[in-house]
This record gives sequence, structure tokens and C-alpha cells, in this order.
Amino acid sequence: METDNPVTRVQENPFERDVRAIFQDTLGLIHIALVSHYGLDEGEAMELEKDLYIWFLRFCMRPGNSSPKDSRPFLLVACCQFAREYQKYVIGAGVRSSNDKLRKLLDREPADVARDFSRSLELLNYRHLDA
Amino acid sequence: MPETAKILPFPTRRTSTEVSSAEAHRIARQYLSTPEENRSVEFFEETFSNCDVLFSVCQILRDMIESDPAASVTEASVLYRWSTNPTSEVGLFDEREYMLGETALIAAKGSRLLGKFTDAERWLDRSEAAFRHTVNPAPSLAGIAFERLALRFASGRFDETLELLPSLKSSFSKLGMTVEHFKAQFLEAVTLRALGRVDEHFALLRGLEEAPGVRDCPSLHGQVLVHIGNHEAVLGQFEAAARTYEKALPIVMRGNRPAALCELKWSIGNAYRGQGSLRRAIESYRVARNDYQTLGFRAFVAQLSLVIAEILLSLGKDREAEWEILSALPAIEEEKMVPEGFAAVALLRESVRHRKTDPAALRELRERLEASK
Repeated sequence: METDNPVTRVQENPFERDVRAIFQDTLGLIHIALVSHYGLDEGEAMELEKDLYIWFLRFCMRPGNSSPKDSRPFLLVACCQFAREYQKYVIGAGVRSSNDKLRKLLDREPADVARDFSRSLELLNYRHLDA
Repeated sequence: MPETAKILPFPTRRTSTEVSSAEAHRIARQYLSTPEENRSVEFFEETFSNCDVLFSVCQILRDMIESDPAASVTEASVLYRWSTNPTSEVGLFDEREYMLGETALIAAKGSRLLGKFTDAERWLDRSEAAFRHTVNPAPSLAGIAFERLALRFASGRFDETLELLPSLKSSFSKLGMTVEHFKAQFLEAVTLRALGRVDEHFALLRGLEEAPGVRDCPSLHGQVLVHIGNHEAVLGQFEAAARTYEKALPIVMRGNRPAALCELKWSIGNAYRGQGSLRRAIESYRVARNDYQTLGFRAFVAQLSLVIAEILLSLGKDREAEWEILSALPAIEEEKMVPEGFAAVALLRESVRHRKTDPAALRELRERLEASK
């Protein structure tokens, strides 16, 4: 399992290192969102995490975006949207069946789901500060 | 990857993204420096299939808008068209929409600088339509809002510009977009001048000149100084203006904005004119106009032609003045540089046709256009 280092990019610069640090820090939460909430299996989650990292790195470089740390909530929104689109695709193609819990989650706006996760993140930060 | 994901054409990570940012930048430069006729389909596809390279191309185009707006518009249009094609693979997740928004915004800025205001508006609509579908669209939409106000200003709609600026400044503040906030303040300063509120205009410029954030941004700092010099020249403080222009020159050069250098030459022309050195003023104006012509800034070329015509008329060179006016009018009308039905345009055209140029109509049109400089 490569979750400790989803994507290692060649010749990483300090900015990329910052982005990676933030991503790594959020990875636990992302993994829980993908596997426990959106019902992806471990392998699928790992692949999406790699895509998410690449996306997040480029996202942080967009003009007008704030620091990687401040961009973390958007990483969670993207994570939920990624997962939602993926699951809808897989279920729609008949490869996987859905259940009530998943259906309800897929009906919710990813931004709302991410907001709930962000609260968990705040709690996590609080715990870090407390430690 | 699990079998289910393998057999489904769900967007997946591409190995081509594994290039360093320096390498992506190098490939992007290589692409842009290759003449269009030498860009084979394979070369084109290979370059654009890598999203890091695409982003680097955008970054380069953003940096060159002011020095080569025509090329920026052309290249951004190519990228935009490619990104709209559903068969083109554009990055991950919201990156197709982001690319569409970004390339359209580049094309909009370039079009505005080229004086193609109608095109600029259409590009802004396209950009907004795309950015709305991205994650965290707020900074990009604020950038579009700024561009719309700059366009309003350039079209002479000063009251509207001033009315909408506070909301935009507030957005930039909330989003932590400091440089953009200063740029909005600068737009406010020049709008105040256009509305004749010169004291507020000057106070705002002075405030900007002293702001550390502005001093860190040579392109904006240089522009602020040039406008301070203009104000001093208008007040007849020519020595102070000359000192300010002198101070501005190295900063403008450092800012790597050829358009700002043109603006400085234009301002020096204004100072000569204010002093009554009309022939030297014409020389400066013509140098500035040639530079603008090279950059493709059609609106400013037209404006300067009217300025030159006015002086030529005052020197009794009516025929030369008519030529200048006739060269400027098509761009003014085609690009709607003044509001529809602006009487001075028709009056001027008619008077030139009768070889009796109406100086009042010329002055009115020149002043109207110069206010939005």
C-alpha cells in the first residue's frame, strides 16, 4: 500500500513539498471518506488518492488560490466529488449495487459532505494543537 | 487497480503528468516558440496531453499578455478550442473547465488591450461559464469581475465602474488577493480622474505609491508613478513631473511591461504639450503610438492619433490633422470606444468630410477617450 506517499514527483520544489505535506496530513481523512463513507474498496481509494494529489498540486498553483493549508477544505470537496462521480459511474454501469446509506450519501451535495468532514478536520487540528 | 475500474473508461491518472514543473515550463516554451506551420498534429497532441504543460502554457500566456496581446489571444484561442473538444483529454476532474476559463480570460484581457471590446466581452462570458463549474470558483470569478470593470472603464462607462468597484475590492480583500486589491484601487483612482474628481484621484495614487505591496509589484508601481507624474504635469508642476517620470522609468523597465513604457512616453508628450513645446510633444506622441502599434493596442493608437491631430490643427496643419483623424475613426467606431450615439464622432466625421475639421468635436472626442486611458 502506497498511502504514505501516493505520488512522488520528480524534482520536487519547496512549494510542492508544502502541498505534499498538507496532502499527507489530510490523507487519513480522505481515505476514511473514500472507503468508509463512499464505499470504495482499498485499491480504488488508492488510485483516486493518487489522482487527488496530482489535482491538488495543480489546484494550489491556480492564480488567486491561497496557501496549500488554506486550500485543504477544497481538497475535501474535490475528494467527495471524485468519489461521488466514481461511485455513480460504477453503480450506473451495473458493476456494483447500491444500498440505502450509499444512495443517501450520493444524493447529498459533495460540498455539504465535505463540510462535515472539514469539521472533523478542525477537530483534528484542535487535537494537534492540544497535544 | 481493481478490475472494475480497469474496464471502465473512468478518468484515470496519466503517467505523462510525471514531469517536474521546470520541465513542463521548458516544453511549454518550446511549444510556443514553434511556428504554427511547424506544429504537427503529433507534436500538438503530445504537448497538450500533459496537463502540467498546459498549465505552464497558460502561465506563459498570462505573463505575455501585456507585451504581445495579439499572440496571447491567438494562442489562448487555440487552447480554448482544443479544450472544448470532448475527445481532448484535459487533466483531471474540473481541469477542463478550469482550462476553458483560464484561456478565455487570457483571450479577454488580450482582446481588451487590443481595443477589441466586443470580443473581450464574449471571451469573458465564456470564461465565467467555465469557471462556475470549478472547485473554489471565487478567485477566478473575482478576476473576471475586475476584467469586466476594466472593460467598462475602457468603454467610457465611468459611473458604472466606480459604482461596482467597492464590491470587487471587498471580494479581493476577503479572498486575500492583495495585488488584485491594489489593482482595483488603481482602477478606482483612474476612474475618479475620468470623472473629474482629481483630488481624490491624486490622494488614492499617493496612498498606493506608499503601499509596500505596490512597491513589490514593479508593473503596478511604475504605472502609479506615471499617473502621479501626469497629475503633476496637469497642475503645471513640470519639474516635479519630470522627477517622477525619471523615478518611474527604471521601475517601469523592471516591470517588463512594454505598454507601461508606451504610457510613460505618452505622458512625457503630455508634459511637453503642457509646457507649450508642441513639436516635441508630437514627437513623443508619435514614438508612443508606433510602440503601441507594434504591440497591437488599437484603441491607444486611435487615441494618440486624435491627440496628434488636435496639435496639428492648432499648428495650422489641417490636412495632416485630417489624415490622423481618418486613421483613428474606424477603430473608435468598430470597437465602440465611446457610447452609442456619441455626437462628437458624427460631427467630426462630417466636418472632416467637408475639409473643415471641427476642433470642438475633436477635443470632446479626444477628452472622452483619454479619460479612459
